[in-house]
Amino acid sequence: MSRDNEGMRRPDRVAEIFDAEWEARARKTLELSGFDPDLAIEVARDALRVVTGDIDEDQFHARHHKAYVEEFEVDDRPRLFSSEEPAEAEPAPEPAMETEPEASPDAPEGEKNGRGVLSRRAAIGLAGGGAAALFLGDLLQAPMGAAGNDNPAGAGRGGDTPAGADTQDAASGSDRKVRMGMVIDLSKCEKLLMCAGGCKSGNGLPDGVHWIHTQAFQEPDRGDDIHYLVKNCQHCYNAPCVMVCPTTARHRREDGLVLTDYDLCFGCRYCQVSCPYGVNFFGWADPELHGGGYTGKRTDYRGKNVAGAPPTGMMGKCTFAVQRQESEATRGSTYCSSSCPNGVIHFGDINDPESEPLQYLRQRLNETQGQLSTFRLLEDLGTEPSIIFIGQEPSKNAEPVDGPRVHEEWGFVEERRSLLEGPEPWFKRIFGRD
Amino acid sequence: MTGENRTDAILRPIKERPSWRYYALLAVAIVGLIWFLQAWVFQLRNGMIVADIGDWGVGGGIPWGLYVGSFIWWVGIAHGGIIISAAVRLFGLDTYKPIARMAELLTLVALSVAALYILVHMGRPDRVVTSILPNLPTTIQSSPLAWDVTVITLYFVLTATYLGLTIREDLYAIRNRLPKVFSPIYSVMLVGYRPEEQPKIDRMAWWLALAVIILAPLFLHGGVIPWLFALLPGNPIWFGAAQGPQFLTIALSSALGSVIVMAYIFRRAYDWEHVIPDSVFAGLARWLALFAMLFLWLQIQKIVTGLSMAPAAIATGTEATAREPLYWAAIILIHVAVGYFALQMLFPSLFSVGRTVIAAALPVVATLLEKFIFVLEGLMYPVFRLHGGVPGSYAPTWVEISSVIGAFSIVLLFFLLVSRVIPLVEVEVHES
Repeated sequence: MSRDNEGMRRPDRVAEIFDAEWEARARKTLELSGFDPDLAIEVARDALRVVTGDIDEDQFHARHHKAYVEEFEVDDRPRLFSSEEPAEAEPAPEPAMETEPEASPDAPEGEKNGRGVLSRRAAIGLAGGGAAALFLGDLLQAPMGAAGNDNPAGAGRGGDTPAGADTQDAASGSDRKVRMGMVIDLSKCEKLLMCAGGCKSGNGLPDGVHWIHTQAFQEPDRGDDIHYLVKNCQHCYNAPCVMVCPTTARHRREDGLVLTDYDLCFGCRYCQVSCPYGVNFFGWADPELHGGGYTGKRTDYRGKNVAGAPPTGMMGKCTFAVQRQESEATRGSTYCSSSCPNGVIHFGDINDPESEPLQYLRQRLNETQGQLSTFRLLEDLGTEPSIIFIGQEPSKNAEPVDGPRVHEEWGFVEERRSLLEGPEPWFKRIFGRD
Repeated sequence: MTGENRTDAILRPIKERPSWRYYALLAVAIVGLIWFLQAWVFQLRNGMIVADIGDWGVGGGIPWGLYVGSFIWWVGIAHGGIIISAAVRLFGLDTYKPIARMAELLTLVALSVAALYILVHMGRPDRVVTSILPNLPTTIQSSPLAWDVTVITLYFVLTATYLGLTIREDLYAIRNRLPKVFSPIYSVMLVGYRPEEQPKIDRMAWWLALAVIILAPLFLHGGVIPWLFALLPGNPIWFGAAQGPQFLTIALSSALGSVIVMAYIFRRAYDWEHVIPDSVFAGLARWLALFAMLFLWLQIQKIVTGLSMAPAAIATGTEATAREPLYWAAIILIHVAVGYFALQMLFPSLFSVGRTVIAAALPVVATLLEKFIFVLEGLMYPVFRLHGGVPGSYAPTWVEISSVIGAFSIVLLFFLLVSRVIPLVEVEVHES
């Protein structure tokens, strides 16, 4: 069965423990059984990989399913992802990957490379199990179900219709609402901070204000790999900041953008305190004091004063470049997405299966044969973020590190507090002169 | 002491010429207030940058600091104050009647100072009415801050009405003895008063006291105020069902302590040994000991559970609290007070008003420290810690410290002025 799994193989301790000598002994014993010794050896190694934590149980069962059926005509081991799959919906010997004609219009990339689109179950099977797989299934089935039908994200889980059929339903459904969001591919990020630069100039942000910030981090005890987290406002569907705002200044627009109305905000900073992501940046002083200042159009199509760096005494944060969504020419892109040379940031309607971010997600899913780690940040808090990350999710133990590049290298001040020094008071000027 | 002599004593602050000490205190209060106002103007002109608060997360700062810590402390005193006064009326605790009105007045001024702190804390205080009021029907459904503003306003109205109703009888009884200079004030306060209405007024005051005693501990300082913090998703050490009881014990401790200190100051200043007898101090000290002990008990719950097998984020926050010297300073101060009050109860010969007042001042200071640390630690140790700037740091600037000076100056000024206009102790018309 190794032929199905070349992509998953990597040098590991398993090869050291179950070495050639062991294999020779095992083969000798196995040949007496009359069954396929290759399969047995491979299964034994994978079983050890489960113990060492290199793969999880779901992957283990998924790997050898086909070979089991070939060899024994039945696979009685725990069904693939049995906890989520209704038993009657799954004929056992079905191959993991299949072409689904009704799905193909939704997936040009899939057809391009001759693979067809993944069924939901196949996506699960290949995605390495766990929450990421469930999430992908959910995404492809009825993306971000929350908007429009009061269906909290994730409520679509457990359905068993193929991806394409459902997304078509969702797309043609009259109650489908636009929900602007992002797919951010962390695996392509190199912390070039072009996103931050684009955002800063586009919105007139003062120094030290990072509406989009890139944090390098390491996972202790899991090697020296450096990962990046590109973090801007998550434009949560269930945003704590919107809920706690005592003035309705912080609000969610009908297209999912979470914005601050600069005509209402009185600067209590409750939104900042309530946001678990730490993405709010207050107008502590005149933005021009620290190299900022927004001169573009402030109002959106509703006439609300929402664009650009906040004036003094008000709260600001990522607006998904709301001013660019005003005109046809610039709609569908943000300063950060258009200035990233690595194509990390993909902005669009994540309720529309044909949108650029979702097409990108499917493409990456196909490229990696479903082996794609995706997550939404702090999803367990129930905030229903509108940003889908591809890449390494920071664990609770993740440690921030400088990484190969620091903000200062690119002319940015990372810690804003170092700039927040008020002017000298009059008594210091008078008494501190001599 | 006859009722008439007692009334004379109560009217002493109104009738007698102020001493030089009075003027000295008045000067201190005015200078303190002016100092605060110029600091606030400095902040209004330059932005909140003149405070040390900053953006949390990447920014390495803390968005709420001394202003919010002070706000909840003053609100606590306000709530505790009126609970004392309402309890006196509802439960017939006549021993404490002499301090009831002081507690009510303290409530009014402490609430005003708390409201002022909200304004000082805001980036655009000029918008407070225009932004909140029109949107209240929407925000009231989900914003703890909107609940807060609503309930505190309701509470202010209840307290002021209560005070107004109970004071009219007194003013009417002594109307001929009040200074002519302030007669316009008295005539406004007495507008439409008829002695026959008194039974009705007493009834209304009783119902108001009942409303206050239900509202203040259960829904305000054991409800909306702790919910300002406990309902947020990202700050683990603010979370928890014990936050309400904890806030309430803190409020009652700080309020009882302040009332004891205040009653002592007036007793000293106006020779009120017979108006506010020793028994009032001994009794209030017992109540203070009880609530301070409950405060310690809840702190033990927090520390023991937080440092044992708590979820990671809560453990981090609790550890940080446990490493904070100011926190332990607060806990030790409360221990000293509770210990002294316990000894005093065991050995009544130990009792002295002076020592009681000193011990009562300790929880007042300790609760301010605790509030300050509570706000800071919650923000410094959020659930998501993957930022270069977490935990942030914070040290109040001169502008922020000026606000504390200003707040005390306002309270001092309020009592200096009010004590010359209305009797600070109920005259007990029925008895005299």
